[in-house]
Amino acid sequence: MLTKERLFRFAPYIVIALFLVLWPPFAGSALVGLLTKIIIFGLLAMTLDFVNGFCGLWSFCQGALFGVAAYTTGILINKFDVSSFWITAPTAVLMSVLVACLFGFVALRVSALYFLVITFALGQLVYSTALKWTPITGGSNGLGGIPYPDFGFPISWSYISYYYLVLVICVICFLLLYRIIKSPFGLSIQGIRENEIRMRLLGYNTWMLKYISFIIGGLFAGVAGILYIHYNAAIAPTQVGVATSGLVWFIIIIGGAGTLWGALLGSAIVALLQYYISIFTPERWPIVFGACFVLAVMFLRGGIFPRLRNLWAKVSQP
Amino acid sequence: MDQFAVGLAIGVSYAMVLFLIAAGLSMTWGLMGIINLSHGTVFMVGGYVSLTVAELTDNFILGLLAGTVAAGIVGLIIERTTISRLYKQFLDQILVTYGFVYIISNATLWVWGPHAKPPYVPELLSGAISIGHLDFPVHRLAIIVSGLLLAGALWWLQERTKFGAIVRAGMDDAEMTGGLGINLRPVIIIAFFFGSMVAGFGGAIGLPVLGGVYTWLGIDILWVAIIVCIVGGMGSIQGALGGALIIGIIDTFGKMYFPQLAMFTSYLVAIVILLVRPRGLFGRKV
Repeated sequence: MLTKERLFRFAPYIVIALFLVLWPPFAGSALVGLLTKIIIFGLLAMTLDFVNGFCGLWSFCQGALFGVAAYTTGILINKFDVSSFWITAPTAVLMSVLVACLFGFVALRVSALYFLVITFALGQLVYSTALKWTPITGGSNGLGGIPYPDFGFPISWSYISYYYLVLVICVICFLLLYRIIKSPFGLSIQGIRENEIRMRLLGYNTWMLKYISFIIGGLFAGVAGILYIHYNAAIAPTQVGVATSGLVWFIIIIGGAGTLWGALLGSAIVALLQYYISIFTPERWPIVFGACFVLAVMFLRGGIFPRLRNLWAKVSQP
Repeated sequence: MDQFAVGLAIGVSYAMVLFLIAAGLSMTWGLMGIINLSHGTVFMVGGYVSLTVAELTDNFILGLLAGTVAAGIVGLIIERTTISRLYKQFLDQILVTYGFVYIISNATLWVWGPHAKPPYVPELLSGAISIGHLDFPVHRLAIIVSGLLLAGALWWLQERTKFGAIVRAGMDDAEMTGGLGINLRPVIIIAFFFGSMVAGFGGAIGLPVLGGVYTWLGIDILWVAIIVCIVGGMGSIQGALGGALIIGIIDTFGKMYFPQLAMFTSYLVAIVILLVRPRGLFGRKV
């Protein structure tokens, strides 16, 4: 029911949506590029939010799953001359899902702390493979010269048209994740996050539920990877390792775990932070990043999005 | 046969360096239930500081001491400012150590620059002794000897002193230990400081084995240390030593005979151990 109260309550979301849809044609390439990156990493952060914020798994390998899809796309295009998006994209997502199946199987055998270590390890494994398998992965230089997606029919690609493609795909992914979270499955994985033993006592197969949610996380991470390599035209080993996995942790901590919007907000904050800090001291960015990470964990643990949401709720309903 | 013997000796000297960093990591893991991801950078700081002091004063021992103490101080700062304030929030504690990796790595880059620094080998330890018709560097022998001495000392501390007993009790059941009237907070702080110092010592003395110190050493070596702790089991000196010897020797022989697979051999061992015996060889609990 479209009441005035409801409209007011959802106003910020509507404003942001309008901004994302209507502004880009008038914005410069730098801003549109930044927005594209924010949305792609927002999607990747959403996968971590799904796996950790909703299911409680301490996954440190989202960057690796993201990288598997990106590299698969790049390898298919560069080394095997397969350029059709209808082939590269499903293959890449399939690879991410397969790797997630493998990693999840190994990692879920142990408790939370070891799960973190194993996902960390497996992520490093992907990084090492990308670095060492030079004939296929391009070694430390990675793969470059990746064009915009080839759908089979001619499209005049530009940073704007690609931005809209990214936006559409990410909105679809967001809606899918949202549906999953609201479904009985989604509720049960949140139950696992809260108290796994109780869920087991209630008869749920918690291992299978965790495994499936980890794979779902891997699937969408793969989607983000595909979007990224077409955006960046290249992929390198450093982008698929612990750095990216850690980056999405930072994003959901600052943005807010357990709320898909927090991932998007966190991504925007981090991207803007990185952009402006790099203007002043590009070499010292890691120190700033590390310090912000530490401060966020200590003082901003719930994330900014829940605080903003509560603030707006109070403001909009006097 | 000579090549095997030298390979073994090189593996053991590498293992000693790994032991020195794994010991501290294993202690915090067992005692606090967290993985101190910044431990590798603490090790690296020990290396950098010892190098600078040794070059300035032309005194290897002074450099060693300086590196050890500096690493201990860094570890102490990390513990006091962040970890102690996040009592029992394990994920958060691990995350802050991750943040510190960035801070410390970039700080060392800022101070010491991007170029790798070669190790400082004092007169006394330079040169080589011969095993058969191959040469074995004296400083590696020194590393093995000092590593074993320190391992022995730490083991004695763990098994034969009251402090060690308290630490072990804290690892097994912190609540019960507290219930017996033992205040674990200072124990944890001391263990953290001590573990960081040992890592610093390892960083200072291990540079000739590692070929020098560079900005990514902290991150690279952390990874190996984690595998050592997984394989050997966390929470005990024997675990750190056992895991270090296994990984050190396997890694060295892997590099000698299968250079392409060098990195993967360690991962594979870790994954096998995790699947078969998650506790590790000498681990206390999963």
